[in-house]
Amino acid sequence: MSSAVIGSWADANDEFSAPDITTNPDGTKTVITFRTNQDGKRVKVTQRIREIKVQERVHPLIAQRKNWHKYGKERNSAPGPDTSTTQLGEKVELKLGLSWKQVEKEEEETKAQNRSDNIVIQKITCRFCGGDHYTAKCPYKETLGGTASADTAAAESAAAEANGTGKYVPRHMRAGAEGILSKEARDDAMTLKVSQLNSFVDEDMLRDELFARFGPLQRVTVVRNRETGDSRGLAYVSFYSEEAAEKALNALNGKGYHSLILHLEWSKKKKT
Amino acid sequence: MRPIKLMGHERSLTQVKYNREGDLLFSVAKDNAASIWYSSNGERLGTLEGHQGVIWSIDVDPESFLCATGGGDLAVKLWKVETGECVFTWDSPSPVRRVSFSPDGKKLLAIADQVMGHIGTIIVYDLNLDDLSNQSIEPSLIIRTDPNSAKANVAEWTADGKYIIAGLDNGYISKYDSVTAELVDSVQAHGIHNEEKIHSITDIQLSPEDGSYFITSSKDKCATLIDVETFKILKVYIADAPMNTAAITPVKDFVILGGGQEARNVTTTAESQGKFEARFYHKIFEEEIGRVKGHFGPLNTIAVHPDGLGYSSGGEDGFIRVHTFDKSYFDFLFDAERTEKAAASGTI
Repeated sequence: MSSAVIGSWADANDEFSAPDITTNPDGTKTVITFRTNQDGKRVKVTQRIREIKVQERVHPLIAQRKNWHKYGKERNSAPGPDTSTTQLGEKVELKLGLSWKQVEKEEEETKAQNRSDNIVIQKITCRFCGGDHYTAKCPYKETLGGTASADTAAAESAAAEANGTGKYVPRHMRAGAEGILSKEARDDAMTLKVSQLNSFVDEDMLRDELFARFGPLQRVTVVRNRETGDSRGLAYVSFYSEEAAEKALNALNGKGYHSLILHLEWSKKKKT
Repeated sequence: MRPIKLMGHERSLTQVKYNREGDLLFSVAKDNAASIWYSSNGERLGTLEGHQGVIWSIDVDPESFLCATGGGDLAVKLWKVETGECVFTWDSPSPVRRVSFSPDGKKLLAIADQVMGHIGTIIVYDLNLDDLSNQSIEPSLIIRTDPNSAKANVAEWTADGKYIIAGLDNGYISKYDSVTAELVDSVQAHGIHNEEKIHSITDIQLSPEDGSYFITSSKDKCATLIDVETFKILKVYIADAPMNTAAITPVKDFVILGGGQEARNVTTTAESQGKFEARFYHKIFEEEIGRVKGHFGPLNTIAVHPDGLGYSSGGEDGFIRVHTFDKSYFDFLFDAERTEKAAASGTI
């Protein structure tokens, strides 16, 4: 077939020739085109095309209405749906049956399960031996401790060198720091404010005795007096899911704990 | 199924409606322009601009030649569907809550709300189809929805055009003669199935096949199916949230209910608890058989495609979602239906 025909003068400078179309005996067409791919290489594209005519019967009125001109806000729009007003939504399921509630509940549960599986449970690791205990309680503190502290000292001096001058540089501005923990990163929607705690209650007690059974926890913080370190009877507890937080709120609010009555509320007024 | 999301409105939807063939979808919202869409691909044919405020209701005549809108700006407007031009405007004494064409397309009813010292009325206009811009301002009929001193929220013509069915604020459904304005029948449809205090009726839709019965939805968390002729309650569908709309599906024996928590309370709960789903009930067995999620506000209006191929819902969130049913929807049978079918095929 002829391939050198120029369709219009606008195409005349095209690097590649017009598509080469061959009609096959079985009624299909083979179209060979050349184009440049992302890496700048010339690619030969061979397509086999079968043309099928689909006849659709529609009501004559509908066919007529299909050709109406647009008006109003759409006066100047091109034919076809406009993506600013028309979009394809996400897939939704309609499972018909009497047991639709159970099916849906099961799905929710598996989803929740997956979510909590994905959460990496924070583990205590010893800086000396890598065991699951606090560094201070490491049984090998005497034997391994020296080398480790030497390492940290070396690291610190290296950091000082990197900063150049001997001037104090705040931790978050040092090289390799991740920056300030932005406040937006915290999700207050899943945080409960616990007040009226007894003064000896600490983070671990809250975690183990009160909140762990409602779901995995992000953070537990007891607010303390800066000078004395005494608890001020107030704590913030963050969950990984709002549902768990809500469950805890409903279950524990107004319950007694170490001779005081707990008061739980959302740490922030909900907006949505 | 993958719904088409229509985002042409800036505020919450008040009504969506298909034309007779189901190729056009008409929608109105609390912003001041109505939209007309091709239901097959979600393309917008155009907008009807001219109202000054909330548009509460829209209807299209059987030929898809004219459509009417009624709004909070005390106006009923008549439009040409093809060109989108407003051909006539009637002034109403109070906000217009509902408009509806008679089955022959020659009359138009409008509900003037009971506010601003006006007593709620249903007004019927005779349309002059020869000279569209020259309509008579005087209504041919005025129905004062009086007997229980409750206002009408919604009204619909019966299939033969002889009666007008009105849903009142106190849970009653009334049937009026469309010529003499006489009250023919009345039944308390809502407020008797449970203890809910508010039971105003929010929607009335006639059965798609022959219009011999209709469905009503109410704030009392129920929907009922009522026979037009005998005016007896046939079925009751009980939901767990105030219902704003209800529709009957052709082809399959289902009804679709839409609603959810009151818009003003939405801010106080999570999306999953707001119950913002379209609920499918089996029309005959009154059992809930499924839900469709998607909106993040209460559903204000639902319309079913006249061929039963899908449905559209408009929500308080300002979106319209156009759904096309999957094959599984058409295949679904109740156990009782399945055994019956098997028995029938066995005997033949």
